Amino acid sequence: MNTPMPDRKEKETRIQTRRRFLELFGKTSLFAGFAGIMTSTMRFLLPNVLYEPPTIFTIGVPDDFPPDSVNFIEENRLFVFRRPEGLYVISSICTHLGCNVRWNPVRGGFDCPCHGSKYDGNGKNIAGPAPKPLKWFELSFNGDKKLVVNTRREVSKNFRLQV
Amino acid sequence: MASFFRELKRKVISGRVWKSFFRHGKVDTDLNRALAITSNVILHLHPVKVRKDSVRFWYTIGLGGLSFLLFVVLVVTGILLAFYYVPSTDLAYHSIKDIENVVSYGRILRNMHRWAAHGMVITVFLHMCRVFFTFSFSKPREFNWVVGVILLLCTIGLSFTGYLLPWDQLAFWAITVGTSMATYAPLIGEKIKYFLLGGNIVGQGALLRFYVLHCYVLPAIITVFLGIHFWRIRKDGGISGPVLTGEVEKASVTKFPQKSYGLMEVASGREVTAEYNPEHHVFTWTHLLPKELLATIIAITLLNFVSVFFDAPLEQLADPRVTPNPAKAPWYFLGLQELVHYSAFLGGVLLPALIIIGLVVVPYLSKSDQGTGEWFSRYRLLPNIIFGTFVVSMLLLIIIGTFFRGENWQFVTPW
Repeated sequence: MNTPMPDRKEKETRIQTRRRFLELFGKTSLFAGFAGIMTSTMRFLLPNVLYEPPTIFTIGVPDDFPPDSVNFIEENRLFVFRRPEGLYVISSICTHLGCNVRWNPVRGGFDCPCHGSKYDGNGKNIAGPAPKPLKWFELSFNGDKKLVVNTRREVSKNFRLQV
Repeated sequence: MASFFRELKRKVISGRVWKSFFRHGKVDTDLNRALAITSNVILHLHPVKVRKDSVRFWYTIGLGGLSFLLFVVLVVTGILLAFYYVPSTDLAYHSIKDIENVVSYGRILRNMHRWAAHGMVITVFLHMCRVFFTFSFSKPREFNWVVGVILLLCTIGLSFTGYLLPWDQLAFWAITVGTSMATYAPLIGEKIKYFLLGGNIVGQGALLRFYVLHCYVLPAIITVFLGIHFWRIRKDGGISGPVLTGEVEKASVTKFPQKSYGLMEVASGREVTAEYNPEHHVFTWTHLLPKELLATIIAITLLNFVSVFFDAPLEQLADPRVTPNPAKAPWYFLGLQELVHYSAFLGGVLLPALIIIGLVVVPYLSKSDQGTGEWFSRYRLLPNIIFGTFVVSMLLLIIIGTFFRGENWQFVTPW
């Protein structure tokens, strides 16, 4: 008997804090669960399997390319250069917004038809809005002495493949 | 014979079936003019009475309504085209060719869809200009302007996603350039492009994605926001106009200080507008609907006329190997493409972002509502000059990009 009032109040406060904690915990879990559902839904929209052309492919044998020539391979969107010092491959995809650049034989460089970017013979951007040089791809021989391009591997502009 | 038909008409109109459709009587009294609007789910988008100065043609030029009409035309023609269109890289172009050359009236329907789409971009943009220059977004209508900005973005998004679907050269390269612009966004640029294209290249994944966005996602979003846009206009007491003056029966204002809800369909605003000089308001049924009907008929006839004589462009099948020279984005993006020619980050990311932020913020910058409902009000001189400069410079850039850019984006003269 004679239970003092503060005790009851203390008990009530304890219940209050527990209730508040449970409420917060419940709401947070619900929110986290909902955020999880949203994240997984967004992730669903990023495909894991792509049915795109392969990034490693053959482009023929060296003799397909006459000496001292510039060859555009439309299908793979790249230029194959055969120079006395060796073979090398430069991407035709403009670094500005992805158009195909064209070889300008007069100037000995590349022009982009979309926004007027210009590159020198090594694909270095020299005028227009292009922010970066054209990509150089790794070129190698496979077992059948065929030329293989790997567009996943970029190389420096000193790269030459000796024939 | 004539009397027979008159009798038949009388019997039908007074019959039970007709009365279950149309609950109002013959529209020759004010009560029935009101009921004709309120008892029809489509017509009751309108208030029963509208402000006299808001039905003046040269106040709105009907641009909002015209935009909505074009949207309806686009939905109808779009659904019809969807019966023949196949969103696959192998078949898309050929199904468009079929629609053009084999399907009965397919060419006209496709033309209508294309020209209505361009028309809608124009009318939505002009509607925005009208709202700005008449200062129709003053308090409390700020948020409805923001909804309008969302509708503008949806319109452009719909037009842009529709651009890819024919899978011709024009489509392919416009989308290649357009989606590459996203890569200049800081940090998440590449991710955005991957997300938009559903891969690394413009291919089957991208075509299907744009198809889904064009036919399901964006139409759903724009429909919801159109609802909000219209509903808010009604809640703010109809379309904007200058502050009403004239005789006001103050007694009735104090009689029903809060009870505007009971009169929602007869009066506008928080106050009982019937208290204003009745000269200010006219019946929608007699003063607005006939104008709208006439505008609808003229617009659809004109659109059809254009579609009979002018064909929507269709170039050769998309070829990722050959970039046309010059490769141009859709015309409403050519202003940005012109800027992209100087710097992709500036034209493709920074400026569009600033324009959108600016448009969203602009209604919250004005301190007073002086000049509301008035074309080129003297109270709005500075904002109007700034907005006018923005509009004119965008137009100039679009004109330069469209007519003065040739091979390799070199400057050329169109003559």
